[in-house]
Amino acid sequence: MKRDDELIAAASTLATEISPDRDLWPAIADAIAQPKRSRWTPMLAQAAAVILLVGASSSLTYVAVKDNVRVVEIVPAGLVFEQASFGSRYALGMEYQEAHGDLAAQLDDELARLSPESREEVELNLAMIRGAIAQINAALEKEPDNALLQDLLLKTYHEELALMQRVGGLTQHVMSRRDI
Amino acid sequence: MEALLTATASDYSPQMVALNKPEKSDEAGWIARARKSDATAFESLYRMHIDKVYGLCLRMTGNVAEAEDCAQEAFIQVWNKLDRFRGDSAFATWLHRIAVNTVLGRIRKSKREQDRIKEATASATSPVSIADQGELRDLSEAVDRLPRGARHVFVLHAVYGYSHDEAGDMLGIASGTSKAQLHRARRLLAQQLKKQGFEV
Repeated sequence: MKRDDELIAAASTLATEISPDRDLWPAIADAIAQPKRSRWTPMLAQAAAVILLVGASSSLTYVAVKDNVRVVEIVPAGLVFEQASFGSRYALGMEYQEAHGDLAAQLDDELARLSPESREEVELNLAMIRGAIAQINAALEKEPDNALLQDLLLKTYHEELALMQRVGGLTQHVMSRRDI
Repeated sequence: MEALLTATASDYSPQMVALNKPEKSDEAGWIARARKSDATAFESLYRMHIDKVYGLCLRMTGNVAEAEDCAQEAFIQVWNKLDRFRGDSAFATWLHRIAVNTVLGRIRKSKREQDRIKEATASATSPVSIADQGELRDLSEAVDRLPRGARHVFVLHAVYGYSHDEAGDMLGIASGTSKAQLHRARRLLAQQLKKQGFEV
């Protein structure tokens, strides 16, 4: 036992401070020169990631009304929405809701025409988007006036709609290939 | 072994000590300024603590490149988390905890640990032992050859002086497990040193 204690005593004299062979500071300085990580919760980051994932191919037009001031955001092509109630500060067009309803009704038919792999991918993406919508809505319940959350929700609905439109385009493409 | 056990910190290679370290008394001010994104103040914190953080990473990983990566990553994490440091513990303890977490996280992600063990077994001189002189070097190398769990506990408890509660907390294990690992480390070290001809 005494020897054990001596071993520990010897270990306590081992060097605890060791200089690295090279200066590590420059790489650290570069890294911290970037803006600090945002305080987004993982939930919001996930929602944003979903938007980025499926957002590139969107081709919708919608009108958002924020604080009763009409704000128009135009993306190429498509639908124009009239005002409708949405959240505490935003309003989406009735046409959005109608388009969403129509597309959702058609979605099952469209999905049935896809290959199992494509269908699985689309359903996975839709599930991710809808999960994000649910999470953002939950966060909005706690912070109803959070403009970032409102904007995220708006964009996420937008992406859901865009994805459903793409499914329609994809099945038409598949059909045309078969026709050939 | 007798000489090994009577070796003192004076055997510690003086060239390994960083020169012109910032004064410890200024630490609180640098922390306050670094919290306000003052990179110059953070560099002072880095200069003050890097040797100990790097030493800890090197003794835990036994690999120079890995230790450098861990030390850098730890300081970057500290920069990002500085506003969460409430001063409940010493800044050094908080910093070491982040460094240990960084090492453990990298080990979990990487298979390099297995490579490291092979290298350490095959290599005659461990990169860790260059910081020590005389027969302490033999002890240092023996520590480096310990299995990971035993080595981590031994380094934190016996070399860096953390209690079993603190070491267990840092490593995510129970205090009793830390004690058991230390017992195992002692036994394995004694075996290794005996093989090398030390009287144990």
